[in-house]
Amino acid sequence: MGTRILTVEDDERIRTAVRMALEDEGWTVEEAENGEEALETFNRHPTDVVLIDIMLPGVDGFEVCRSIRRNSDVPIVMVTARADTHDVVAGLEAGADDYLTKPFAPKELSARIRALLRRVRTTDPGISHLKFGELEIVPEEGLVLLHGEEVHLTKTEFRLLVELASSPGRVFSREVLLERVWGYGYFGDGRLVDVHIRRLRTKIEADAANPRHVVTVRGLGYKLQT
Amino acid sequence: MTAVVSPPADLAEPRVRRRVARTLIPLRRVGLRARLTISFALGGALLSLVLSLIAWGLTRENLLTQKEDAAVSRVVTNAVTVRNGLSPTADIEQLLGSLPTPAGSQPVIEYKGDWHAKNAVAFGEQALPSELQATVIGGDAAVFRYVYDGEPYLAVGVPIPSQDAAYFEGVSLIEVQDALDGLVISLLGASVLTTFAGGLLGFWASRRVLEPLTDVGRAATAIAGGELNVRLEEEGDADLDPIITSFNEMAETLEQRLERDARFASEVSHELRSPLMTLAASVEVLENSRDELPERAQTALDLLKADVDRFQTLVEDLLEISRIDVGAVKLFPEEVFLPEIVIQAVSAAGTGPVPVIYEDDASEVVVRVDKRRFGRIVANLLDNARKYAGGATAVRIEVVPADDEGPERAHVVVEDEGAGVPVDERQLVFGRFSRGSESGNRASDTGVGLGLALVDEHVKLHGGRVWVEDRADGRAGARFVVELPVVPE
Repeated sequence: MGTRILTVEDDERIRTAVRMALEDEGWTVEEAENGEEALETFNRHPTDVVLIDIMLPGVDGFEVCRSIRRNSDVPIVMVTARADTHDVVAGLEAGADDYLTKPFAPKELSARIRALLRRVRTTDPGISHLKFGELEIVPEEGLVLLHGEEVHLTKTEFRLLVELASSPGRVFSREVLLERVWGYGYFGDGRLVDVHIRRLRTKIEADAANPRHVVTVRGLGYKLQT
Repeated sequence: MTAVVSPPADLAEPRVRRRVARTLIPLRRVGLRARLTISFALGGALLSLVLSLIAWGLTRENLLTQKEDAAVSRVVTNAVTVRNGLSPTADIEQLLGSLPTPAGSQPVIEYKGDWHAKNAVAFGEQALPSELQATVIGGDAAVFRYVYDGEPYLAVGVPIPSQDAAYFEGVSLIEVQDALDGLVISLLGASVLTTFAGGLLGFWASRRVLEPLTDVGRAATAIAGGELNVRLEEEGDADLDPIITSFNEMAETLEQRLERDARFASEVSHELRSPLMTLAASVEVLENSRDELPERAQTALDLLKADVDRFQTLVEDLLEISRIDVGAVKLFPEEVFLPEIVIQAVSAAGTGPVPVIYEDDASEVVVRVDKRRFGRIVANLLDNARKYAGGATAVRIEVVPADDEGPERAHVVVEDEGAGVPVDERQLVFGRFSRGSESGNRASDTGVGLGLALVDEHVKLHGGRVWVEDRADGRAGARFVVELPVVPE
């Protein structure tokens, strides 16, 4: 069975047009017109990618995002009204992996979805088992262990951590991380990196406010402390 | 402020307006402060002059009356002495000498048609006004005030009919005159002082009056400069507070109206996004099966797609501009190497390859920009060159060292070889929905004229400015220059 995508959008015409455009890419599209329906559809039969419009009647997009995130690491793309509002950060903090602003070109959406689908758990065997104190990364199994216990990371968080772990101690700029993890060129949004680093820290750091593993290098980017 | 609330000028009766204008204009040219100062000074001068005149008049009357009373009672006494002393054999000169007369008092006796004076040369018959002589010799006592030999005199005459004689006394009023002259000088001095004090008071009062006006002016300037939330504080002054209240109400109304306009533009473009989304996605679905369409339908699809793209750009630009208008734009500035971001922006603009040219001194220049918006600045300038000048020929990065005009700054210049922009249109091209030169080649124009307006707004948000000039090498074409502050090392 091919890739299945759930689109949550209350405007029927947009939903239909986007569905057709995505179907042209060869994907199967499930539709939901509100938050409740989206959760019901997803819980019954989880999809490979979820596209959520933040502005929904009833249960809003943030809540749908959080509910799905509670027991799934499915890639989520959210659609916001504008790029410079708090909506973007709020959506990313609710668990979205990427965002688009309306109106977007369906080609752009397809590109984002393909980038997310490429973000698989396992990586090439070039990186083997890594151990940083109580933190362990087992790339070939897509596993992250803290004090020997598995930590649940989304695919994006996992890719981010593995990218940093590929050269421990090296400083990665936001641009480099955007390109390697999200597949963006120079004009990607640095907030994607910042929010995901923050979320990553809450999962693998004993004290997220004083990180010991993923540290910020002011003005330059982030690095994994050896 | 008056101009805002007054009825339109054309409603006023023309004749009246002209007259008012004629009298007001010369005064209006002088500042309110100067006018108040002058008014206070004039008021002081007028008041002190009136008071001085009254004081002078009263003093004069008082002094003269005293002098007259004294003279009259003395003359009556002396006249009795003269009556008793007169006889055809009497020595009149001796009689005159025996009369008790104070200094400055000149006794004169007329006896049976002959005149005798104590000092006949200086003050005799000739010194007495003929009218007085006639009245007294006619049998009536009289008092006269007059000027003789340049001096003010008081002359009192009493007839002595029993002796066929008359007794006169001339009293010099020079002392009174001197006293009054002294008084005039003192009063004039006081008037000058009062005028000066009035002026000072006016100056001080006008400052007190104008202080709130200065605040109003400052607030108005701030509002005009875009700080729409500036308000004046109530001063607890019954006369000033109504002005302050109405000023604040005006500012409030203005802010609300501007907000409403901007919100309207923002809502309209927001509303347009959903149908646009459907259009863009549907056009793409059609595009995907383009080959299956008949040729005519393909042409129609191309037209549709081009205009949906254009529509999309317009809505995005409108959204961005209305966001700037309501002050809702949030920049995400980052410090970046200028050549690096310019090269990235040029390649991301999608208007084809354009050489980016810079000297070594520019390679390490760091600017602080919102990368996404900087990308739009470059893309819009390249797009503008494509639409009106056959495409940009080069993008240059130039460093301007610190000089009189400001600290070190960088120029990002988009050059073309088009017709150039006429001098009188160089401001206009950055206006909203301006299409640039009328003479320019716009046959295939698909522009909507928000691109350069957005460049202008974005560059301003970055603390820079943008302008257009002629090419430096004398060839035809325009240089669009974006000036940005450089982050010091």
